[in-house]
Amino acid sequence: MLCGWSLLGPLQWIRYVHKQVRVKAGKDEELCGWLLTVDPVSASLVLMDFREEGTLMQVVMGHAVEEVQVLQEADKETADRLRSSFLPLRTCSLDP
Amino acid sequence: SISASAASEADAEELQREQHARSVLRESFLRCLLSMNNKKVQFHMHENVKVDATFGASDIDVLNFQVSNLHTPIGVQKEALIRSQDVISFTFDL
Repeated sequence: MLCGWSLLGPLQWIRYVHKQVRVKAGKDEELCGWLLTVDPVSASLVLMDFREEGTLMQVVMGHAVEEVQVLQEADKETADRLRSSFLPLRTCSLDP
Repeated sequence: SISASAASEADAEELQREQHARSVLRESFLRCLLSMNNKKVQFHMHENVKVDATFGASDIDVLNFQVSNLHTPIGVQKEALIRSQDVISFTFDL
């Protein structure tokens, strides 16, 4: 996928959500993590990396993305963890 | 014609699915932005430049980030706007 990431659109981006991905960005940057979401406005990716000392969040700007590669699907535990990460205290989903 | 109306119906359905996906993704991104407020972030910029700052906010189209205490090589800038075009990625601890 060459420079096409920004052009994929929501239906394609959402297929990467909750998968572990490797992202090549800029000239020589490579990031790894679980994809939490893709901002549909800027095509930026939000990655979460669960570590023992805490969770590292990485945001990759859509314009800098060179390549996105899926490494693996989330197991149930990881998927639950991703899903519950940014829920508001009082759960009020805006999704109808 | 029948085929044309069937096609437009399929288009409408496709559009609705796309809009739904868009809203799910955006809501999640906005919640993530909220959680970044006041967090120490590190920006990775072009030419392998890395700068630390305290994240404030982003504008709706994610063109600029407002940050505080931006640690630049020539000193600390109390308040600053960073153009997102100059950023490759940024990281922070949750």
